[in-house]
Amino acid sequence: MAKLVDVLQRDSCFQPGSTLCAGCMESIAFQNIGKLTDNGRKTIFALGTFCGEVSTLQYPNPVAWGRGEETPDDWTKSFGIMHHVFESAPSVAEGIADTAQQLFEIGALSQQVQVCSLSGDGGALSIGLRTLLHTIARGTSLTIFVLINEIFANTGFQYSPTTSLGSETSTTPVSELLPGNMTPPIDYLGLAVTAGAQRVVQASPAHPKFFNRMVEQGLSGSGTTIIFVPSPCITGWKYPDGETVHLAQLACETGFFPCYAKERGRPGELKFVELDATKRPPIEAFLGLQRRFQHLVRFNKATGTYDIRPGQEESVARIRDWIQHRLEQLQRLA
Amino acid sequence: MEPSTIIETVAGARYDHVIDLEKVRAAHRALASVQTIREADGNAAAAYASLQMWRAILFAGFPITPSTKWLETVSAVVRSGKVGAKQIKLLEAEHAVADYMAGAAAACRDLIVSTATSSVGLDHMTESTRSLGASGLGNVMLINVYRATANYPLCIEGDPSDTLAHRDDGWIQVACRGVQQIYDTILQLPCLGMHPEIMTPTMPGYYGIKDSHRSARLVMEADTAIHTFQDRWIGPAQLPGLINGDTAFGNCVTSNFFQGFKINQRERLERVFDILPEIGRDFARTFGRPGLEVVERACWPDDDAIDLAIVGMGPDVGTAAALAETESARHGLRIGVLAARLLTPFPDATYRQLLRKAKGVLVLNQAHHFGTGHLTLDITNACYTLETRPAVISCFAGMGGATVSDDTWRQMIAHACATIAKGEKLPPPIVVHEGVVLWPN
Ligand SMILES: Cc1ncc(C[n+]2csc(CCOP(=O)(O)OP(=O)(O)O)c2C)c(N)n1
Ligand code: SF4
Repeated sequence: MAKLVDVLQRDSCFQPGSTLCAGCMESIAFQNIGKLTDNGRKTIFALGTFCGEVSTLQYPNPVAWGRGEETPDDWTKSFGIMHHVFESAPSVAEGIADTAQQLFEIGALSQQVQVCSLSGDGGALSIGLRTLLHTIARGTSLTIFVLINEIFANTGFQYSPTTSLGSETSTTPVSELLPGNMTPPIDYLGLAVTAGAQRVVQASPAHPKFFNRMVEQGLSGSGTTIIFVPSPCITGWKYPDGETVHLAQLACETGFFPCYAKERGRPGELKFVELDATKRPPIEAFLGLQRRFQHLVRFNKATGTYDIRPGQEESVARIRDWIQHRLEQLQRLA
Repeated sequence: MEPSTIIETVAGARYDHVIDLEKVRAAHRALASVQTIREADGNAAAAYASLQMWRAILFAGFPITPSTKWLETVSAVVRSGKVGAKQIKLLEAEHAVADYMAGAAAACRDLIVSTATSSVGLDHMTESTRSLGASGLGNVMLINVYRATANYPLCIEGDPSDTLAHRDDGWIQVACRGVQQIYDTILQLPCLGMHPEIMTPTMPGYYGIKDSHRSARLVMEADTAIHTFQDRWIGPAQLPGLINGDTAFGNCVTSNFFQGFKINQRERLERVFDILPEIGRDFARTFGRPGLEVVERACWPDDDAIDLAIVGMGPDVGTAAALAETESARHGLRIGVLAARLLTPFPDATYRQLLRKAKGVLVLNQAHHFGTGHLTLDITNACYTLETRPAVISCFAGMGGATVSDDTWRQMIAHACATIAKGEKLPPPIVVHEGVVLWPN
């Protein structure tokens, strides 16, 4: 694995000029992925429709992709990117990868290319679940990134199948009857494992060494690697400026978004999170930072911590149980 | 690498040393080493043509009646290894097929990616076909084996409601009739779609069952002859693909810039009117059979001197052509028959020229339409500026893939002649089946 300090020196294919919100984790992820793909192989990205696309490929704004201001002399530094329809990124990426592979096998392309698919969790796990699972099942050499922000952010922060229990979204508003979203999030890690991915990973740039190692393994390995990137969304999750990385770390440590890696045929590994709930930070610490959960917890000035609002104990317990259940499930996944 | 082979284009840089197309050509193995005559149905003919092109190394598909045999034939031949290093990708749904083709075609603009589908299969692709239509990826070919689309009631026979519902997707749509024309059209269309002034995906189509499942004599050309012909028209792509380029596809724009993109798309489609016949003439010179044309004169005098013109598409037009002489004598009117080939863009000017002497035009619509019929609307529009506007007589027959029988044609022709005699210009449409007027009743 390349040293972190060396990776930082590389040319990112993600350039200034995007209109992603300041503090968006997608931007941090792209910056890192952009550098990690500068590894001597030509890189091609297929994008679904999501914040990471509409905010980076907007003509006539500067296209926020490509290595450097000038056309690179070295073809392996050149960059290809394609946005097609919302849910299509894995299938589009597969078409690109197969074409390159076919040309390579014929001898018409001297060097293999690396192909990545990038989508939001709505694109990949809601409307695009079918294509995602089938692409994984076919085992093409691809690295699939799914940015998990739990909402359809691009259309205004609506509920999506990855939305956390209790979360307020623009289509699951908190009312006297219902405390936000009542549907448990879809088990995307389990689905990806069942579909037969070579590597299933959940990793955040908030844990840079782990993140980089996972991305590098994905890019250099054969078969399909899927990397779910928990992506705090400053605008949709409604948290204070400057908290993105801290929140991503808390998301892992509290068990909301555990870092996880599983190679096919081997047991998976939870990272930076304790299985024993008593050893984890309380989930209120994660919930309290975000206004989408303000109906569940409130700040206690006396203790400097977040407490459950009276009457919301059951809702918070439901979230806690779901987290514990999922961590144990992940631990068991063979 | 060699910077001298880096070419800047309007769509980013192209690295010309990266893909060696000669290796792709060399990897092709001929399906026919010499001209061969065999029996084939429409689907098999379409599959053979798809396989004989050296630029086609990747196919994709998902089964649906009546196009399935294209997929089975391509799969069987590819997996036999007879045609060299080609691959077929069996995907989980038509939407994925269209998305996959978008990626493959963008990866290398010099390769041809094709599939075949029908009916709801085409509808399932719609989100993607609309994007592809505007993508500039003329190296995508979708063979549409016509079949009714609505599943209430489900009908697996061939009417063109699928293709006609996709007129606005932005593809070049060409209707075929007969096994030979299907084969020949598929060989020519990539020359059109990939032309640097056109760069638009192509959708050849033919009638399900009537043509897809009917066997006839097929002259298969030698692969080498096909390659020589295609290479005269298809040069190395001028714009970069994802593999050999520093480039981006599918950006978002504001409405201000949207206009320019759409005008450019329109200009490219308009070039079809000039370039399609040129390709057709070259094909005819090369292979001695009629090549692409915007309209086929199925039974038509050179001086366009007819009283009643019949315009339709597909194999049932052949029945009209066979009846033209006796029906002309019966009604005392000169009857001519045209088979529509180029559906999109619609060749208004050609029809206007051909129909300038006609007293009436009988338009056969074979797909359900709540108004006067898809083809009728286009023909009416084409005739609108003629000094003497012919009557446009709209008929529906053959819906759901029903045969348009001799009796049905006679009934429609009698109705058209009566309309001309009465001096009516645009009578309400009629629906005819097995010689009986079903509507209005
Ligand atoms: C077929 C289709 N339905 C709906 C939309 C509207 N749409 C565009 S982006 C988007 C949400 C994207 O959500 P996600 O994939 O989670 O990415 P995010 O915006 O949160 O980054 C939606 C619903 C669309 N583009 N296409
Ligand atoms: S809305 Fe959220 S996901 Fe979208 S750009 Fe802003 S912070 Fe990022």
